[in-house]
Amino acid sequence: MPVTSTTPSKTAAPAEGAASRKGGLPRGGRRKREFTTRRGLAIAAYMAPAALFVAVFTYYPMVAGGQMAFRNWKLTDLTDTSWVGLRNFADVFADPAWGTVLGNTAVWVVGSIVPQLVIGFALALWLRRRFVLRGLYQALIFFPWAISGFLIGILFRWMFNSEFGVVNDLLQKAGLIDEPVAWLADPDTAMVAVLVANVWYGVTFFAIMILAALQSIPDELYEAAALDGAGKARTLFRITIPYIRTTLALTVLLRVIWIFNFPDLIFGMTGGGPNNETHIVTTWMIKITQQGDYGRASALGLLVVAALLVFAVFFLMATREKKGARA
Amino acid sequence: MRRRTAVLTLGTATALLLTGCSTMSPDASGTVTLNMVESLTNPTRTALLKDLIADFEEQNPKIKVNLVSPPTEQADQKLQQMLQSGSGVDVLEVRDITVGPWSNNGWLYDMKKDLDGWKGWEAMTENAVNAAKDTKGRTYFVPYGFYGLSLFYRTDLIEKAGFDKPPATWEELLEQAKAIHDPSARRYGYAFRGGANANSNATAAIEAYLADDVDPANGFKLKDGRTIFAAPEAEDAIENYLKLFEQASPKSSVSWGYPEMVEAFSNGSTAFLLQDPEVIATVSESKSISKDQWGTAPLVSGPGGKTVQPLATAGWGVAKGSGHKAEAVKLVQFLSQGEASTSFTKKNSLVPILKSATSDPFYKSGPWASYVTMTEQPDKYLVVTQPRGVSWWAEWQQKADADVQKLVLGKTSPKELLAGWDAFWTEKWQQEQ
Repeated sequence: MPVTSTTPSKTAAPAEGAASRKGGLPRGGRRKREFTTRRGLAIAAYMAPAALFVAVFTYYPMVAGGQMAFRNWKLTDLTDTSWVGLRNFADVFADPAWGTVLGNTAVWVVGSIVPQLVIGFALALWLRRRFVLRGLYQALIFFPWAISGFLIGILFRWMFNSEFGVVNDLLQKAGLIDEPVAWLADPDTAMVAVLVANVWYGVTFFAIMILAALQSIPDELYEAAALDGAGKARTLFRITIPYIRTTLALTVLLRVIWIFNFPDLIFGMTGGGPNNETHIVTTWMIKITQQGDYGRASALGLLVVAALLVFAVFFLMATREKKGARA
Repeated sequence: MRRRTAVLTLGTATALLLTGCSTMSPDASGTVTLNMVESLTNPTRTALLKDLIADFEEQNPKIKVNLVSPPTEQADQKLQQMLQSGSGVDVLEVRDITVGPWSNNGWLYDMKKDLDGWKGWEAMTENAVNAAKDTKGRTYFVPYGFYGLSLFYRTDLIEKAGFDKPPATWEELLEQAKAIHDPSARRYGYAFRGGANANSNATAAIEAYLADDVDPANGFKLKDGRTIFAAPEAEDAIENYLKLFEQASPKSSVSWGYPEMVEAFSNGSTAFLLQDPEVIATVSESKSISKDQWGTAPLVSGPGGKTVQPLATAGWGVAKGSGHKAEAVKLVQFLSQGEASTSFTKKNSLVPILKSATSDPFYKSGPWASYVTMTEQPDKYLVVTQPRGVSWWAEWQQKADADVQKLVLGKTSPKELLAGWDAFWTEKWQQEQ
């Protein structure tokens, strides 16, 4: 098993380096024990239970799931699960709806993240001030984050219901619309409705993260800025945002990945309809799974993992560079 | 010393893993424990099943039943995983849409021999006996009841619109729904199904228009071997169905599934609804419409005065991997006959499997009467097996649902839709051969 056999040498290497930097004697003055096969075996034995556990419960399912992508793995007929090479991947791309699904995914991610970031930031700035019952407000605002996405989807499905929903009722009473809008039935408005729900849901996370970061900014900085006559906007762009930039970048990265991987809400609300107009890559994957075609669903899953890995690497590289330039 | 510790650690870990994977062995006292898994779970039904199981355990003291009730949405997938692992399930809920793939994968036990000469068959309706057998005569499940369509209608709204009886055909349904439909007053003619499972009502309309021409063994096939979608009558049916959406249904019904349809009828805003009998219970509890404001009529028919009952069914089966098949079959028998069966179908609002139901006052009166009417007139309400057991059924449903949405959104025509469906089924049948 590669995991156990390579680990001892990996752990030994840095220890050796550290020892040599300190003149060959680690802390406490004890000489480093010689690395023997016997000792290596002992280390391997100690690590074995954990390694075995991870191998059985994490890596095995991953590899087993991954290899389905290259097989004819249809739950409806498991009598023939032969290797099919890249056919499942080709099938994913060949689907006539694939272009729509990709476009929707882009709209879903960008349309969710931008308003979530802006509103979340504003909320965090507001919550940072001291005012009566601040704790209660904070708790109330963070509450939606504790609800399941699927449930939120179902709630919003009823709220956006054209005939019996509260959204149309309020809009009509406010005189903003003359007749009910068929939000979830109209391809032009369905995506707007799911985005509204997702923004409502996700603002909280940004608010929590940004508020935590804001609280780490020393007050002296603001005091000094005020003494120098800096206005509100200048303080925001010269102190607040630069100070919390790392948190902002990481939060955006996390959220892009999560929103990309968040089919629950759409599934509860529209099921991807009408006419596939709200299907994103991950709801599409569920749809394929429901058809019983685990091979194609796995292929799509691998593609998603690859795309998100590439995105994460680029994003981290970009943000790290900026940080380096500043220093 | 160190080596001993290492060996001990490894040993413990292996033992832990192995105990996690092993299954329960039979009890030393000779008591057998059956694992029973349901899939169309809901809290009331689970409680009812537990009651029935308690009766069974009382009659069979050496058998204990452990009921597993996964939430409906994940139940079939959970069951598939359990069945694939080969153990842990004895008795399970099998549906007409799962029996095909599951038996194909060798997960279900053929109960034919065990049930040979069983008295329970004699008490069952012809529909039930037929549904228990697949095309090759194997018995992978015994149905516990049927889901069949009937027309829920508003007596008061019909009367107000100047009609003296509920519609009997799809064309009359359009006519009456159109007359009642008035969106400005928030009153709608028909609760259209455009969302999840939209395909079911669309195909029901097509089958009604073809009635006698449909192959009784396959609801999507004509007696001459073509698909029902290739017949010119299918186009008439879909055109009428589209008008029902355009002229008599709320706009938002493009995305309506089961909950919205039932809500629309039970909140009093919509005059007609095509649904399963289980909706009777929900509508009866409505505070918006009283008992004398609504009723049910038999499923509407095609221009020829006949229709096809698109019966859906589910029942109890035994897993091939079960180590206690004899006891499992005993439980299936218990649930499929006598008091247990009657109480299960009544409390779940299902079309019953027992012949005795037609004389039961419960089914003779009120909203249930239309189901009895349909059962008693098999020449008018034709019993046709729907091809719900084929391995591509889920694929078909998703394709057809999307197509119905395209149709009502004006992105495709009835002709194009039917040509697509015809091509889909023709190709699948050819592949099968």
